[in-house]
Amino acid sequence: MDQAAILDHEFLIAAYIVTWVIQLSYLAWLGYRWRAQKRQTAKSARSRSGESA
Amino acid sequence: MKKLLIGLYAAITILLMIWGYYQAMYVAPNDAMQGEIFRIIYYHVPSAAVAFFFFAISLAGSISYLAFRHNSPGKAQIADAWALAGAEVGVVFCTVVLTTGPIWGRRAWGIWWTWDPRLTTTLVLWLIYVSYLLLRRFAAGPQMQTLAAVLGIFGALDVPIVYMSNRWWRTQHPGPVFGGSAGSGMAWSMARVLLWNMGAWFAWGVFILILRFVIERRQQRIAADEAQRALEE
Repeated sequence: MDQAAILDHEFLIAAYIVTWVIQLSYLAWLGYRWRAQKRQTAKSARSRSGESA
Repeated sequence: MKKLLIGLYAAITILLMIWGYYQAMYVAPNDAMQGEIFRIIYYHVPSAAVAFFFFAISLAGSISYLAFRHNSPGKAQIADAWALAGAEVGVVFCTVVLTTGPIWGRRAWGIWWTWDPRLTTTLVLWLIYVSYLLLRRFAAGPQMQTLAAVLGIFGALDVPIVYMSNRWWRTQHPGPVFGGSAGSGMAWSMARVLLWNMGAWFAWGVFILILRFVIERRQQRIAADEAQRALEE
């Protein structure tokens, strides 16, 4: 493999890694939001049942 | 049943992604001029196509919100959630476009960036939708959703300009892959791989779009509950 082909390959891999880092970071953030909302919903349901008791 | 369908959709999406990756890395031929670096197109172009599609969803959501906001508040909230989800997921895909493009440009042109019409209009599109998301994050009050909807509509006007930029003006950016003039485009052996990857990224994008929509709808219900409780107290 010549130097140009090696550089091409490295840039290609860098582009693919950047793509997946962006996509998976966003998915992780959505997962975090989802869990935070579940906790918030459970907390408000508990406080509501406490009020009615 | 719902969980089974979600699992099935996720499995199909993952299989499509693996198939698309295999086709892009090992099956598609190298470009005669560019060599292996050309394969970035299999992530770059589908990301742009999916971003445009999601900005169109955001546009439809924004128009629907403005149409329904007085007479049908329930429908308006659903439309607003679609507008936000479309804009946010569109920004994610547009970010991929704006990072993979310069990586390709550095090898193909020897520069990371140039103020070419296609690149500039894409950057402006990204900035408009980032400002849309910042407005939604930091503005408060009853007019926030209306202002965001108006900005979302104006932002979407840039999409056809981005799409047509390398047809209207002489650009350094390569010519259109599909729908260009005679002599543009690519060989079927490459276009076939591009279509597989478009399908895969579209499936992935729809998955995260729906996830974002569900989160926003739940957030709207939590906010409505909190407002109701505050009134009761």
